[in-house]
Amino acid sequence: MEFRNYCAKINDMTARVRMAENGAQLVSRLEGRQSLRDIEPSIFPVDGGPGQGDVVEFHGSEGTGKTETLYHLITRCIMPVQSRGLEVAVVFVDTDYHFDMLRLVSVLEGRLAEDCKGGDGSENEPEERVRSCLGRLSVVHCNSSVQLLLTLHYLENTFSSQPSLGLLIIDSISSFYWVDRFNGGESTVCQEANLRKCAELLDRLRRNYGIVIFATTHAIMRNYGSDPGVSEVPGPSSSRRWRSADSVTDFDKPYLCRAWQRIVTHRMLFTKSHVSKDNKQVFSTACTSIMTKGVKRCSFHVMEDGIKFVCDK
Amino acid sequence: MVILREGICPGINEEFIKALQSEDIKTGVDNDHQIATFEDFVSCNPEELAQKCSLSYKALVAVRRVLLAQYTAFPVSGADLYEELLSATAILSTGNPSLDKLLDSGLYTGEITELTGSPGSGKTQVCFSVAVNISHQLKQTVFYIDTKSGMCANRLLQMLQTKTPNMEEQMEALQKIKVFRVFDVFSLLACLQHLRSNDLQKASIGGGSVKALMVDSVSAVLSSMLGGKQNEGMSLLMQVAGELKMIAKDFNIAVLVTNHVTRDGNGHLKAGLGQSWSHVPRTRVLLQRVEDAETSSLRTATLTKSSRQACHLVEEFDLCHWSEEKRTSISGKRKLEERSKP
Repeated sequence: MEFRNYCAKINDMTARVRMAENGAQLVSRLEGRQSLRDIEPSIFPVDGGPGQGDVVEFHGSEGTGKTETLYHLITRCIMPVQSRGLEVAVVFVDTDYHFDMLRLVSVLEGRLAEDCKGGDGSENEPEERVRSCLGRLSVVHCNSSVQLLLTLHYLENTFSSQPSLGLLIIDSISSFYWVDRFNGGESTVCQEANLRKCAELLDRLRRNYGIVIFATTHAIMRNYGSDPGVSEVPGPSSSRRWRSADSVTDFDKPYLCRAWQRIVTHRMLFTKSHVSKDNKQVFSTACTSIMTKGVKRCSFHVMEDGIKFVCDK
Repeated sequence: MVILREGICPGINEEFIKALQSEDIKTGVDNDHQIATFEDFVSCNPEELAQKCSLSYKALVAVRRVLLAQYTAFPVSGADLYEELLSATAILSTGNPSLDKLLDSGLYTGEITELTGSPGSGKTQVCFSVAVNISHQLKQTVFYIDTKSGMCANRLLQMLQTKTPNMEEQMEALQKIKVFRVFDVFSLLACLQHLRSNDLQKASIGGGSVKALMVDSVSAVLSSMLGGKQNEGMSLLMQVAGELKMIAKDFNIAVLVTNHVTRDGNGHLKAGLGQSWSHVPRTRVLLQRVEDAETSSLRTATLTKSSRQACHLVEEFDLCHWSEEKRTSISGKRKLEERSKP
């Protein structure tokens, strides 16, 4: 705790004595970023969308639609305002080496075409519009937790100099978990050192620059010995902050370091549910946030051109 | 881990390191930790550090900037990435129409595709035929990592003979398939790292003719490492995964791996190697025997993971498709010729 205060003090100090600041940095610090609160009302709680400095964790096992949902959200961010987008620049940190640009483009094309049908008669070529949207996205691949940490440090400059940049996506923050566990030897402190530093840095980035952070975590830890529905084990565990989302899965145990758990403000659980009558797989999400009560549930299909939300019965 | 030592970047000399290490700086929960790595250094505030170690602030900031530039990954604009993908992505046909249909016309470069199935479901046969098709039809080099000595050159030749009667062409194709034999996970890792830093590097400079890497099977060397106190095994598993992903991405290569199957709680077949591995392949195909079929070479392939096609597509195919079937037609022709001779 002492250490945290110490860090906070240092941060305050540097914030005050930051001498060299150019105009763009000043603007990005003072003016604030574009809000992402209504990025997708279907999956976030009412009045509980991700505001400035919020951290959303997307948690789920393989093939439950996490990355697909990210494509949907990215598309919404990078589309221009006249096509009902948010026109926000996005940085995508790909640690899973998983990012599928072709898929993103097909989602984007579908969305832009849909918009064109609306009849505003856009003069630009579709190809041209896709490219201008993609210009708002930058992608960076990281292959180790050290590289992730250094890259985040490097990105700090980008955040401070680009006011249009509002969203940082890390897919996924848990991918180096096992390698770090082993490299750290016996001591948990060493095992978690890199991720802890990343989390502390992310905390500083979100507070100083007001960016929103989305990060996915793989559900790889089973909740042994806890009743479904009562997943909250009393104790110092930070999972107490989360109201149970009825434990739709037995893989929803948070296992990353506490520095990370502490900064998460929204948690979204992904599950694969039933197959609907017309033979389509239904995916569902359950979002809880520390700001609002209750669980926001939502189901969707994955279609050729992105996800389609299913109206709740 | 990047150890701070003399000479890794212009500004760092002996005094610099000494000055940094003279003072114990609180870098984390373990308070008496010295700054030994760049990760510690970069997380410290340069101003604070300058005062404590009596180093020049300018020098510290300069070193930080140079090292960051050296070790970080660089962001690429989405538009550029798309451009690059459009020009560089290749789709390698597997040579089997039904598999191609399942995979949306073949193996994509830059991705990991996984074949799962119980023993005898034809995983290795499919690997062989894909290797033969890529080396013969597409004239590209294939790296084939064999972890269970299942590689059978005769079978490759047999498959090639159905494609071409020309001996030279057959040999040429066989030469394009480079086989590596490894029998434990450490040699597999060493092999992958070697490929990444030597062979593929060279190949990519010389025009990049290597288009596919196969590991048959990835579970043979990995499954024995799992269980017990897990950490080491899981770490090795993820390192292998990391190497494969990097090879696929950095050199734009199609990676094909095979994996065994287990049954989940409901008795459904699922891919082996557990939850952490399940995130690794981009596309997964489950191979199964067709039950109560009179010929034993009929198989079904089910798409169980894909980001392009609807999952649970099922296609049926015949393993003989790659060899005997065509051979019978050839021998049939020969018979005709023989008959017409006299």
